Amino acid sequence: MVALVGVIAVGLLIGDPTPEDRVQAIGERIKCPVCQGESIATSPSDTAQAMMDVVAEKVGLGESDEQIIAYFQASYGTGILLDPPFSGKTLLVWLLPVPALGGGIWMMLARRRVSATVGGRP
Amino acid sequence: MTAIVGYLGLAYGLISAAFLVVRGVRGMLRPTVSTPKKLKGPVLGLLGGATVAMLALEVGLLTDDFSINYVANHSASTTPLLYKVASAWGALEGSIVLWGLVLAIFTFTVYRGHAARDDSDPLGAGALAVMGLVSMYFFGLMLSFSNPFSVCVEPSTVGCLEAANLPWAGSLAALEGRGPNPLLQNHPLMALHPPTLYIGYVGLTVPFSFAMAALLLGSSGAEWLRRTRSWTLVAWMFLTLGIVFGGLWSYEVLGWGGFWAWDPVENASLLPWLVATAFLHSSVVQARRGMLQAWNFVLVIAAFAMTILGTFLTRSGVIASVHSFTQSPVGPALLWFLMVVLVGSFGLFAARVHVVASSPRLDSMMSREGVFLANNLLLTVFAFVVLTGTLYPMVVEAFTGDQVGVGRPFFDRMAIPLSLALLIAMSLGPIFPYRAAKPSIVWERIRRPLQIVLVTAAVVVLLGQRNFYVVIGTLITTFVVSVIGRHLLTSARKLADQRGLSMWAATRRVMSSDPGYWGGQIAHFGVAVLALGMALTANLVVDATVTLSPGETVTVAGRDLTYVDHFTRQESNRSVTGARIEVGREGRVVAVLEPRLNQYPTSSQPVATPAVDASWVGDLYLSLKGFDEQQVSMRVFWFPFIWLVWVGGLVTAFAVLWSRLVRKPETEPIGARQAR
Repeated sequence: MVALVGVIAVGLLIGDPTPEDRVQAIGERIKCPVCQGESIATSPSDTAQAMMDVVAEKVGLGESDEQIIAYFQASYGTGILLDPPFSGKTLLVWLLPVPALGGGIWMMLARRRVSATVGGRP
Repeated sequence: MTAIVGYLGLAYGLISAAFLVVRGVRGMLRPTVSTPKKLKGPVLGLLGGATVAMLALEVGLLTDDFSINYVANHSASTTPLLYKVASAWGALEGSIVLWGLVLAIFTFTVYRGHAARDDSDPLGAGALAVMGLVSMYFFGLMLSFSNPFSVCVEPSTVGCLEAANLPWAGSLAALEGRGPNPLLQNHPLMALHPPTLYIGYVGLTVPFSFAMAALLLGSSGAEWLRRTRSWTLVAWMFLTLGIVFGGLWSYEVLGWGGFWAWDPVENASLLPWLVATAFLHSSVVQARRGMLQAWNFVLVIAAFAMTILGTFLTRSGVIASVHSFTQSPVGPALLWFLMVVLVGSFGLFAARVHVVASSPRLDSMMSREGVFLANNLLLTVFAFVVLTGTLYPMVVEAFTGDQVGVGRPFFDRMAIPLSLALLIAMSLGPIFPYRAAKPSIVWERIRRPLQIVLVTAAVVVLLGQRNFYVVIGTLITTFVVSVIGRHLLTSARKLADQRGLSMWAATRRVMSSDPGYWGGQIAHFGVAVLALGMALTANLVVDATVTLSPGETVTVAGRDLTYVDHFTRQESNRSVTGARIEVGREGRVVAVLEPRLNQYPTSSQPVATPAVDASWVGDLYLSLKGFDEQQVSMRVFWFPFIWLVWVGGLVTAFAVLWSRLVRKPETEPIGARQAR
């Protein structure tokens, strides 16, 4: 069984994204400004295709993912990003689930320690 | 005339609902033997009024009565019959008529149950009163802000420019109707998806109403839960089906090649589904062990609130999405109702919870109850995340005026870990014993499945598969299926040996002996298949944009696509241009696909209808982008094994039928509580 685990681990560790994968991944994080909530990667409109060409060009020039995202954010505003940045006005949307999950877990475990039963029949 | 009849139907429904509330409350506080008789009139009046309204709307649509504002703006004489009928729920005002009718039907079935009992049943009377209150709201809405029978006073050649609310005002008919939204006339699923979803949404009113009545009466959680289980299951089944149909419709119609986009209105259907699923599971614990009573009150209130929120998000136009058709005053009205529901029901709960919800404590987290509790938590957090993400841009814009985007990347990043955790809980929960799970018992039940998983993992990796999600998806599905299979086969083998039955007969016996439990296992199997389908199609998709001249061939995903020619034809309600594409494999032509663009007279943008060649190994999916002189440009997708998504979803929904239709024999349930 250990041998099988080893095979699996080694197998998974090999593998790199191709440039096309990167263009696609970046495209999925940018909203098409003339569509109803679609990303530029999935929208067939001409605007979206033109923007995807810009992404492809920049990937070809060796820019990093974050540089390209920052370029679009500067050109179109933060509303263009489908992937809310972990900063500024969208920081809260990433942070809110944490107390929700934490509070839930605490409630689940804390209730067990309370020994007296609350309530009874009238 | 039709409009007047319909409007009067709505008015009669409203008045009947008012009587239902009054008599229901009286029946709850002062129950007598004659309570059911007193409620019969109002219930039938509500049902009758709702039916008349629906019929009037359909008659208006089918007779092309363009003096009715709704008909003039959402249907046309050239609209095909099926889509004329479906236009009844294709836009805001009509869809609330459907909601009202489904609510009236559910009220009637609840009444039947109440009237069939021997006792005075104050709980049932109270529930009917609450359902009457909800009906009063929706019928009131239809008579005021969201009137399907407003009549046209200023017609245009196409459609209606201004309408009067009261249908006996002098009306003028438009010459022709605008027709339905182009997106809504492209696929027969349009007829099926909204009614199915609405049955799911409205069905959740039933357990909610019983819960409210129980709180008002101060009676404990057990009875209302037990009585409403069937309704909850049916509502959940239709909700699941409605979501699957929505995904299928999106795939077949929208041409972007996906079935789920975390669109706000899609999320609006997912939110009640997540909470209802938590409620469904949590009720099992209360039924078996009397626990989680407070949770169940909260979950059922939240599920109902989510249906109202969902309607608000879909119909108020507050968030731009594929579904939002109009901006209208109904938005504030729905929001107000949502506030009333939340404040009223949670307030009532807080006031009465100490009286009605005294639960014994959990013995140990390592038990089936513990897994159920964790399940509640995971589903609730999932719903919370979807809710926050959906509402966040709206709230930020309301407070700061800035636009922010929260889209697919956010939801995927949150949903995937939560889904993986849920899948693991789903696999382990049903085989954990109640009270306290001895590790040796659990190990015995997962040992063989784990071995199968490891072998599968090695095979998958050796086959060259490197994608993390594909591997994980395959492994988790294998684990779920193996655990269920092992459990079933072991129980069947025991029974076969004991009673000398064949394995086939023994397996059927086992599954019939506890239809609730095994129905759940079938649903879990469906979910696992669905998860695998999603992992495979999302990560192994082949996607290309190609431009072809006539006669040119391109190869995508091992298939040769040859552009033969283009065609144009005129249909009654649209003009269609398309391309004929021959699909070849290994030299032979295996299919001819015709992706099309549909141009509707009232819209500037054409709607692309994809052409799909479905097979067991995957779907070849072509979506036209456009024609440029002689050349055609289109997107080509290869979705491997996407049928797993549809089949998985359908199995999950129809699993409910096993638990409801199979008759239990008079013997001890097998498999659900065995120690081995």
